[in-house]
Amino acid sequence: MIWEVFRQDEPGGYHTHCGNVHAPDQELALLFAEIQHARRKPTNSLWVVPQEEIASQTDEDDRFGGTTDKTYRWVSAYNVDVEFAQEIEDSDREQRSAAGDSA
Amino acid sequence: MSALTGPDVLSAAERSAVEALVFPLADDEFVIAERYTEWQVRAPTLESDLALANVAQDEFGHARLWYDVVADLGYDEPELLFEREPDEFYHASLCALPFDAGDWADAVVRSYLYDTAEALRLGSLAGSAYAPIANRIERITTEEEYHREHATTWIERLCVDAEGRQTVQNAVDRLYPYALALFEPGTPEQTDAIESLNLRTESLPSLREQWIETTSTFFESIDVSVPVVEPLPEDPGRHDSHVEAWLSLYEEFTRTYRELDRAHTPTITSEHNDG
Repeated sequence: MIWEVFRQDEPGGYHTHCGNVHAPDQELALLFAEIQHARRKPTNSLWVVPQEEIASQTDEDDRFGGTTDKTYRWVSAYNVDVEFAQEIEDSDREQRSAAGDSA
Repeated sequence: MSALTGPDVLSAAERSAVEALVFPLADDEFVIAERYTEWQVRAPTLESDLALANVAQDEFGHARLWYDVVADLGYDEPELLFEREPDEFYHASLCALPFDAGDWADAVVRSYLYDTAEALRLGSLAGSAYAPIANRIERITTEEEYHREHATTWIERLCVDAEGRQTVQNAVDRLYPYALALFEPGTPEQTDAIESLNLRTESLPSLREQWIETTSTFFESIDVSVPVVEPLPEDPGRHDSHVEAWLSLYEEFTRTYRELDRAHTPTITSEHNDG
């Protein structure tokens, strides 16, 4: 039986997939994962998940995000007005200098 | 608080008591690690291979910690290992017995018996009057927990059917008497010195009794019987005869040193210390 292993570097971080181990049950899976995936890297926590319990699909099965043009969702799709950008920069500068004065 | 702070304050008698205590500890760790490494690329699965290799690596590290205690009394590495005569090693024979090919139950039962004894032994040294001994205990103990968990988990898995349980039973029958020799004292003078200096805070017979209690309870819980253990085997190790297979193991780990005609052991890291 294959168990997928997820490692978290430090408290609050994501558990990131880092490989798998063969083990007959949860307890041994954790013991093996500890050696294979947590011994040489900073580890705060480990998860093991039976591979068969993980459902998956790919972009081939289902076009993620649909098929019509949705570039409007991306900031990069917008024309950034130069004057407008200047306005923000000025405002930022004012705020920084105000913060500096009060300090 | 440890009364004996380090090698400089030891009298000749204290020094030899420290040696009498530490050599068997260091030799046990080193020799059992040598044996464990025979499983590399031969364990039942890749995962169990890595797990046992990890246990072996830990034990080598512990051996290093203990050998450093005697190194600070004036021994160098060749004297401690590669040029020491095989009959001047003081490990218990449990550590040196060869494995039968493919007998995984032996590996995990041996680890369980050894590491359970190890836990008790470390407990009896945590309050040692010799500081370099006492200050090593915590680091070693933490790693030992994995070893016991690994061994008991495996033994329980092997005992889920009759065939597997029989392999565990065979290993217990063969290894248990040898494991008891872990608690064999040195000479009476050494034992007196170790105990009167408080280098160890519990006697070996008391540790032995606790070990029998713990291991019997565990084996009974999985329907494995513990053999009658007296008398001890004829080749228990320590100050008595070693098993025959010890000689070939000794030849093996000293071979490279001899073939390269070495007179010292270069290291790639800076001086080890008892930090």
